[in-house]
Amino acid sequence: MSAISIRKLVKVYGALRAVDGIDLEVAEGDFVGFLGPNGAGKTTTIHSITGLCNFQGGSMRVFGLDVVSDYRKTRPLIGLCPQEFNFDPFLSIHGLLVYQAGYFGIPKSVAAKKADELLGYFRLSEKRNVDFRKLSGGMKKRLLLCRALVHDPKILILDEPTAGADVELKYQIWNFLEDLNKKGKTIFLTTHYMEEAERLSRKIVIIHKGRILHHGDKEALVRDQSLEKKYLELTREKADD
Amino acid sequence: MIKNWIGFKTLVKREVLRFFVVFTQTIVPPLISSALFIFVFGFSIGRNLNLRVEGVTYLQFLIPGLVMMHLIEGSYTNTSSSLFMLRWHNIIQELLLSPLSYFEMVLGLLIGGVARGLLVAGGVYGVSLFFTRFIFFNPLIVLYYFVVVTVIFSCLGLLVGLWAEGFEKLSVWGTFVLTPLIYFGGVFHSLEMVPAPLRIVTKLNPIFYLVNGLRYGMLGVSDVNVAFSMILAALMAVGLFLIVERLFRKGYKLRN
Repeated sequence: MSAISIRKLVKVYGALRAVDGIDLEVAEGDFVGFLGPNGAGKTTTIHSITGLCNFQGGSMRVFGLDVVSDYRKTRPLIGLCPQEFNFDPFLSIHGLLVYQAGYFGIPKSVAAKKADELLGYFRLSEKRNVDFRKLSGGMKKRLLLCRALVHDPKILILDEPTAGADVELKYQIWNFLEDLNKKGKTIFLTTHYMEEAERLSRKIVIIHKGRILHHGDKEALVRDQSLEKKYLELTREKADD
Repeated sequence: MIKNWIGFKTLVKREVLRFFVVFTQTIVPPLISSALFIFVFGFSIGRNLNLRVEGVTYLQFLIPGLVMMHLIEGSYTNTSSSLFMLRWHNIIQELLLSPLSYFEMVLGLLIGGVARGLLVAGGVYGVSLFFTRFIFFNPLIVLYYFVVVTVIFSCLGLLVGLWAEGFEKLSVWGTFVLTPLIYFGGVFHSLEMVPAPLRIVTKLNPIFYLVNGLRYGMLGVSDVNVAFSMILAALMAVGLFLIVERLFRKGYKLRN
């Protein structure tokens, strides 16, 4: 069974077809790099899967469950690490994770333990009682990851997780994602960094102007040339059309 | 109806914590303003003019109105500001990504408003005890209005919290609609105290029926048919809740 199955997804903003009838399958345990220029439809696709935006056409399934009619079952299966730092200012960072887990129906004692574990891994334990505004940019990035994982989802969706991160943090996140994937977590990564996609992903999906230009094994794609060159070739061809 | 109990309780806790953390902005000011209203209008002016309304002192007449005013303002302000800020900072994503149903989300947010309304109104009544005391004519009717009114205005707060796209729009309804309706809704006066043309306008104001229903429960006096007022309140509460829940389900201004 596919972890994510998208059929003929259409999302329209006024006159703009942000996502134009895409089909996409992500196998369980896969690591997919989802690439495309700004405004290509990456975030819209992610938001459609996670229930953050309505869509006008098509269907989406997560482990065989419809994301609209079975949303109460699909949402615990997905963890989203968004681009922006949208944290609750009324809570400490530890409280924030415990509350987030609580929304997923996880009892406080279990959630507190999981929060401690994640904060420890991402070296945020010392800051557990402060609110997020006192964290550096890199720390906030790590906190986003903690929040996405606190309910132990089967699929982790990341929207530019290393944008603005320093080298050390970037490598820490990469290693963490590789470990997670080895443990069976399905990872769907949106990024602008070709190096990141090339290192981490097994499958590459390239989207441009709401349509998928490429979907396949990374190895096949980069056999003759670098991912960056291939990406530019595909997106330029499409722009010329 | 509620399946995700832990999630629901977490949201309620968050909503209550939110106004407790800033209690100097949410709880204390209405208590001070009520104490001033009671002292100036009821205790000083009302007593010196020996004013009586519908067989009770003006001070006693005033108290149900003030309690109602703070039931309305407390619940409305809580849900409108909470939901608006959730949207403004995009923290609403935390709820939208979770398996909370839309019913659970609305009810959780609403209970925050109900809790604040009840706490503030209870506090206002507590303050009034320093000036005058009376036995509730019908405590069950008082309880009914406490709950139903806070539900109505929590729902209205949620509607405005959904609709508003900026701080200006957020304050428009409170300033230009709710406050005039409250002040012309019989908080400070009975029907016989206003000129005849204004009586018709007053009777078109739904808050007038709520104020008088509560006044009946507290003092046994009212300008309106209390059964009608109670039915109207229940219909408003149920109707508004269904509208808000429907808007959440559709994702109105919540999902792109």
